[in-house]
Amino acid sequence: MSAPTAAKGGVLMSKRSMAAACLVASVLLATAGCASPASTGDTGESTSKEPIRIGAVVSLTGTYAGLGVPEKSAIEMEVARINAAGGIGGRQLEVFYEDDATDPAKAQAATTRLIEQEKVIAIIGATGTGQTMGMRGDIDRAGIPQVSMAGGNAITAQFDPLVFQTPWPNRVVVPFTLSYMKAQGITKIALLSDSGGYGKDGRQVVLDEVAKYGIAIVADETFNAGDTDMSTQLTKIKAKAPQAVWMWAAGKEGAVIVKNAAALGNVWGPAGNEAARLFGTPGNGRKEFIEGAGVAAEGFTFAAGRILAPESYGAGSKPYVVAKDFIDRYTKQFNKAPDIFAGHAFDAITIVADALARSGADPTGPKLRAAIEETKGLIGVGGTFTYSATDHNGLTERDLVIYRIESGAWKVVE
Amino acid sequence: MGGAWRRHLPAIVSAALAVVVLALPLAVSDRYLLKVFMFVGLNVITVAGLAVLFGLAGQVSLGHAAFVGIGAYACGFLTARAGWPWPAAVVAAVAIAAAGGLALALPTLRLRGHYLGMATLGFSMILGIAFVEAKAITGGNDGLSGIPLPAFGALDLDPATASYLLVWGTAVLVLLLASGIVRGRPGRAMTALHGSEMGAQACGIDPIRVKVTAFTLSAALAGLSGALYALTVGFVSPTSFALETSIILLAMVVLGGTRSLAGPVLAAVLLTLLTYVDAILPGLSKEAVAFLQDWKGDIYGVVIVAVMLFAPAGIAGVARTVRTRLGGSS
Amino acid sequence: MGVPELLQFVVSGLKNGAIYALIALGFSLVYSATGVINFAQGEFYMLGGMVAVWAMRSLGLPLLAAVPAAVVVTVAVGALVERLALRPRRFEPPLVLIIITIGVSMVLQSLARHLFGPDELALPAFTPGPSVVVLGAAIERQTLWVWGLTAVALIVLWLIYTRTKLGLAMRATAVSHDASRLVGVDTARVVMVVFALAAALGALAGVAVAPLTQTAYDVGARIGLKGFAAAILGGLGGPVAAVVGGLVLGLVESLSVAFISSTYKDAIALVLLLAVLFLKPSGLFGRSSREKV
Repeated sequence: MSAPTAAKGGVLMSKRSMAAACLVASVLLATAGCASPASTGDTGESTSKEPIRIGAVVSLTGTYAGLGVPEKSAIEMEVARINAAGGIGGRQLEVFYEDDATDPAKAQAATTRLIEQEKVIAIIGATGTGQTMGMRGDIDRAGIPQVSMAGGNAITAQFDPLVFQTPWPNRVVVPFTLSYMKAQGITKIALLSDSGGYGKDGRQVVLDEVAKYGIAIVADETFNAGDTDMSTQLTKIKAKAPQAVWMWAAGKEGAVIVKNAAALGNVWGPAGNEAARLFGTPGNGRKEFIEGAGVAAEGFTFAAGRILAPESYGAGSKPYVVAKDFIDRYTKQFNKAPDIFAGHAFDAITIVADALARSGADPTGPKLRAAIEETKGLIGVGGTFTYSATDHNGLTERDLVIYRIESGAWKVVE
Repeated sequence: MGGAWRRHLPAIVSAALAVVVLALPLAVSDRYLLKVFMFVGLNVITVAGLAVLFGLAGQVSLGHAAFVGIGAYACGFLTARAGWPWPAAVVAAVAIAAAGGLALALPTLRLRGHYLGMATLGFSMILGIAFVEAKAITGGNDGLSGIPLPAFGALDLDPATASYLLVWGTAVLVLLLASGIVRGRPGRAMTALHGSEMGAQACGIDPIRVKVTAFTLSAALAGLSGALYALTVGFVSPTSFALETSIILLAMVVLGGTRSLAGPVLAAVLLTLLTYVDAILPGLSKEAVAFLQDWKGDIYGVVIVAVMLFAPAGIAGVARTVRTRLGGSS
Repeated sequence: MGVPELLQFVVSGLKNGAIYALIALGFSLVYSATGVINFAQGEFYMLGGMVAVWAMRSLGLPLLAAVPAAVVVTVAVGALVERLALRPRRFEPPLVLIIITIGVSMVLQSLARHLFGPDELALPAFTPGPSVVVLGAAIERQTLWVWGLTAVALIVLWLIYTRTKLGLAMRATAVSHDASRLVGVDTARVVMVVFALAAALGALAGVAVAPLTQTAYDVGARIGLKGFAAAILGGLGGPVAAVVGGLVLGLVESLSVAFISSTYKDAIALVLLLAVLFLKPSGLFGRSSREKV
């Protein structure tokens, strides 16, 4: 195969293009020297069987680096365990990682690379919703399955037979949280949501669902990633006297809001108003949130899967064993308890591995896709997955619990 | 040396390069490589406009990613939602981006240097908010998807090849146009302006008109790049047009060298490839690819600093020095 | 809406405004001596917070020692950047130097991710305790530290500018490098001192704000943008202009949230900034521009 050239538009009719042409020529030579056919196998025709090739697109840099890094760690750890145990059907798993830098165009290019150069038969990813959606065109053309670790509604709501999702999407989280609020006698809430994808997605689902629970939204405020103070929004919200403030903030702004609210509570308390309760989302199930918010996080309530408290499954039950085992191994290897994102990634690779085992000796993209769709009662750490031809999310409200932060740790309340 | 062929040599070399670039899909079947080179071509189109703006009109923009965004959303919306044929959508997208450029150029005429930089930056940030909030048109944070790949009538091309040819065919035309501007009367007028506004005025050149034209043209080319981005990538998301993109585009121009078109274009090629280094070096091990991806930010930053330290006049400056050393033509 | 609410909006605006002002002071300081916008200023802010957290967690230093440690490290980085990356090219047009600072900021951000990880990190408040109530408005104790720091920085910079030989040398350098050298000013040293000061300012801001917002390897870019906007709004005309620019920007944002829309608060602030530039092309307090970009 000939060398890929560093394509260069040298149509300038100026004398300068001479020098430019020289530089281009050197680039051509440099790339020609290094280029080699992409399909060279790792070991060629060795005695052992070829590994099964899987791609992973994660955000290791950019805005979602804090999510993508633990995701990659979890996948690496699980793949190492599967391979040490003899692989799948006697074949090793080989995962090719790509960093999308939290950019949809890069996620798409990475997808093309994984398909064209690495010949993967499935891709896990991406970390974010925009990146996941950006990959869709190439996934469709190649006809291989994609298992996303992003929670955006659009991913499975804009249905694609090839695309699956592991986190609890907001259309599951929102009704669950709303029914808890209703049970708590809450009828007036305020929204304070991130203007990024996560907050906007969640806010929209809340607006669509809230009436069914007899709950009214009395204030609807937003903030931007990186904002350093939200007391103005909270002051406006307080004037409407909601019983609960529902915050959609997965990043460090969540801690800012909680601290601002605590500072303001010092004023509101004596005025006789009972302070509004603060609610959050699965994205707040990170130890960084509690560290950042400190004592202000006391009483903060949010819904998430049982990964944060596996004992809620009942010690000794099968889900408990799966979750506990993952948490212990992860903590031992990385000196840090896994967060929910590591859990989503573990579930993604577990789903792919489970389907591979059911795809026969020579799995292909289409066979694997069909096998993933047939996933039934697979126990992951985010819940028990059952996919179908119409449901590519596979989780239900049963997989969620309500947590409240008490004495600097989250506790299951329901 | 013989004068005649020597005078025509740059033209011949350029034409030969254009042929090589356009014939590349015959030799390269790896669709990933074609896609990466296509991204290179998209940046080349935008940078050509910025080079005309900065190198020749002396203006700096910290917000051109916004014009790329305007072109991308306009073209994406018109083809995917309004059902326009793609050529009409591209023309409309370029016109809208140009109108945006004109709208920003007029009130900012009095601004210079950092203040102009801030104005263009502010404009692009306002548009960034609009891209997210105008959900009916842009799809908001979820992005605008379902943009059909361009069809070329009877020609039945592989999508990757078709996209590559569309982008680089356009890029070649854009570079022809830009070099025409550089060498033609408008370019000479703009160069005069960069030297001295009063001098230009004395020669009967209207500096205001030149500035506004340059800004509008650069916005139009950015819009063109965005329109082709939408058609070839098929998905548009607001995060792609953030400040970092504008800054990288500007860095390409400065690293390429002022008062040059070839320099910035070459810088665009090299800097774009730098982020896809695993594409052009397929022999790399997995570990090496992971390392390069992990250290991308440092490598990119170090390259920018190093070029500016060792070649403050950019690639074009190096070329000029080399030519002088060789005792070359004028 | 009563007085306490109004006051609360102003408190919030002045809190954000003081943070922007601290960054704008750094921009304005470097600009006044070199004509360059230092896009790495936000990274000095990031480094201050990150190094302080690291010193407490990894070295076990108390906060009282971690803060000066963070400042010292950041100042060393700032001086190094000036010496290695900027001084060799100080006679080039400002744009070349600006692009260098952009490259430097990429390197610093990426290095910080490698050294300190991708997660947000928390720093304890300087003086923990419940918020202070003034006329019905709540003020976090840490906010008082941020305001105090802004005031001290403003006064110290103003004294340096007007009362010291260094200030004289800085002002001379700002007018003309060549002429300053002729009268015996070591302009290279002045620029280095200015960078060190800007780095110290950025680090102190980062340390003072981290207890309010947490910090992370990528906080520099956004805060740098706000500081740049504040500096331009003020008109790059010295410390007072920078602080006024920051406070005005913070107040406009807060009042936009309060009375118009939280979604469009940044857009409103930017439209206002553009309007100011269109009417007064060199900012609120800027003299007619003299740069050579």
